[in-house]
Amino acid sequence: MIYFKEAELVVPGQLLSDNGRRSGPGTYTMNGKVYAAQAGIAKAVEGVVRVIPVSGRYRPERGDKVLGIVSDIKPNVVEVDLGGDIKAVLRMSERESPPLKLTLGDVIQAEVKSAGLRGIFLDLEGLQKVKAGILVNVNPAKVPRLIGRKGSMIQMLKRETGCDFWVGRNGLVVVSGRSPASEFAAIAAINLIEREAHKQGLTERVTQLIKTLLEGG
Amino acid sequence: MVRLIDENGLRIDGRRPDQLRPIKMEAGVLEKSDGSAYIEVGGTRIYAAVFGPREVHPKHLELPDRAVLNCRYHMASFSVDERKPLGMTRREIELSKVLREALETVVFLEEFPRMMIDVFVEVVQADGGTRTAGITAASLALADAGIPMADMVAATAVGKVDGVIVLDINEAEDKYGQADMPVAMAPRLGSIVLLQLNGMMTTEEIEKGLDMAGNAIKHIQQLQIEALRRRYHIEAGGEEV
Repeated sequence: MIYFKEAELVVPGQLLSDNGRRSGPGTYTMNGKVYAAQAGIAKAVEGVVRVIPVSGRYRPERGDKVLGIVSDIKPNVVEVDLGGDIKAVLRMSERESPPLKLTLGDVIQAEVKSAGLRGIFLDLEGLQKVKAGILVNVNPAKVPRLIGRKGSMIQMLKRETGCDFWVGRNGLVVVSGRSPASEFAAIAAINLIEREAHKQGLTERVTQLIKTLLEGG
Repeated sequence: MVRLIDENGLRIDGRRPDQLRPIKMEAGVLEKSDGSAYIEVGGTRIYAAVFGPREVHPKHLELPDRAVLNCRYHMASFSVDERKPLGMTRREIELSKVLREALETVVFLEEFPRMMIDVFVEVVQADGGTRTAGITAASLALADAGIPMADMVAATAVGKVDGVIVLDINEAEDKYGQADMPVAMAPRLGSIVLLQLNGMMTTEEIEKGLDMAGNAIKHIQQLQIEALRRRYHIEAGGEEV
């Protein structure tokens, strides 16, 4: 039995399901029942109840694609600032030469290899340097909305503005386009998505905004 | 001697013994914090702000198995009749600890090892019941900050005034009454997370008081939930993530 409605805001302590084996992220079990641990939107996916939080800082998880700024370079490690007081580490211990030349202040995209007590480690594989663009900060809780279901939102942004996007799960986003006007239209769209992430008909409003900005400018 | 209950059984502010003062709550009022809340209970006005989970500072306070919860209860200089000197008084230090211990019981601290969660409670105007309103606001701010918790904590005080057990005592009743008992609960867990008593009450009176507080706390928690819903104004049928 499930005790929440689709797209309803659940609050900490709210009873979600009486089947304790179906407890996902953002929930906890007590006496065989599932309760919400965070304020967010509850979802039952493949029988597992989870809460998608509406706020909160970024919590690194294995496999997350993140964007970061190189903040320190030591003999064998490169420290990367992921924003929100989180620092990750790139270990260059391999004998081979480093795959990329990195300097302080470089923006990189990488996957989280592991996150735990020992710290957060990034994967050397798939490591990319973001060469140019405008760096924007987005509330990490709103990033899934910015990407959209199966990337629908971000693909629409690409199509409408003609810009390239690097989106980090940690809330850092780089926008790079051919003209400043298209970049600013893209940033305005990102801000709109962040502000109205939970409202209906967002995609239409975003397309509308980009159209007026690009035609007006 | 001040008469606190009149011949009709009403209190000095016209309330019935089991009546709360008007309560107003809002979440997400401060821009720079991760979560925040504002509460008004009668003349009491409080802001609460939550930062984190973030790095522990100073570093030696860090715990390898759980987060550190840091609470600061503070009253503004202008919150009371006679200017309160700046800085933390003994009372404020004690209330910070009491608040922390109440919130620690519900927050899942073990999910954030080597991190710190800061809770700031700032009393802007004091009119009795600041610690209970502070806990209510702090808990709402924690939920607004997306911190995982087992339940939202709400609090109120009961007291004994002219021999009558009354709910949510105000400053005058606190000063001239016979007893003051602040209670904080995690209603859905059925646990009491804070219980203090200043004055004297019999066992029966305490039981009656706890009953009254329990019902009131359930109502206050509803107000917290409504404040959260207003903050995120989630429309039914909103697009899926």
